[in-house]
Amino acid sequence: MARRNRDRRERRPQRPKTVLHAHGEAGRTGSFRCAGCRLEVPATAPGTSHRNHCPHCLTSLHVDLRVPGDRAADCRGPMAAVSLTSRADGEWMLVHRCARCGGLSVNRVAGDDNARALVRLAVRPLAGAPSGFAAVARDALVRL
Amino acid sequence: MSTTEPSPTLRTATFTCVRCGLTVSALDPDGRGRDHCPSCLSSRHTVDRVDGGASGCGGRMVPISIAVPRSGAWVLIHRCTRCDELAEAAVAADDNHLVLMRIAVRPLADPPFPLDLFGEV
Repeated sequence: MARRNRDRRERRPQRPKTVLHAHGEAGRTGSFRCAGCRLEVPATAPGTSHRNHCPHCLTSLHVDLRVPGDRAADCRGPMAAVSLTSRADGEWMLVHRCARCGGLSVNRVAGDDNARALVRLAVRPLAGAPSGFAAVARDALVRL
Repeated sequence: MSTTEPSPTLRTATFTCVRCGLTVSALDPDGRGRDHCPSCLSSRHTVDRVDGGASGCGGRMVPISIAVPRSGAWVLIHRCTRCDELAEAAVAADDNHLVLMRIAVRPLADPPFPLDLFGEV
């Protein structure tokens, strides 16, 4: 518990939004259309001020190059969610991989993200584990 | 067939892990090049993924998660502790299974919503 409190205190503050975002994505209307399932998604999300993926299918768009929010990438390919990682304070982070160029990015999950899709991603390594791992995985899941 | 055989120099080459100091052979048991330590799975930031080519960072990269592409093999996602860049690496046959398993179950160990409700859905 002590370790968690320390991590929460030392967390880097969120970066300010410095780049003027293009009109199409979330500028004029305050919403964007998902590259994967074409759902119209409002840019405001509960729990985060940096929504970059669809809450329904978790697909993102490759617009940032090195720093999240810099809008410097020319790729603009759809990015599929490939895995989940968790921060030291327990926050879940989504790892996206660009389907066009293979670029990777990490974003925190939002409060309205599809819980079923998130859990499906979380158990995917355990479901497709090499033989011998399955028993260990089942054991670990039972103990949770 | 000599093209598929690694050169003797490569076969005997080693590197030292930046985290645990283990001396590791540069090739894994399957004969592919290795980029992370099989014991602690740490790597070094030597390749720039965004621009391509070599990276001047050289920071330590920690494994953060495991992705499973359609082929079914596990892929490790590394994150540089110095510049936060991400990289992916294939899992070798002799990688530490305990550490791999720990990374795989880490999100499930601390879910942001109660997982027991999924039994009812």
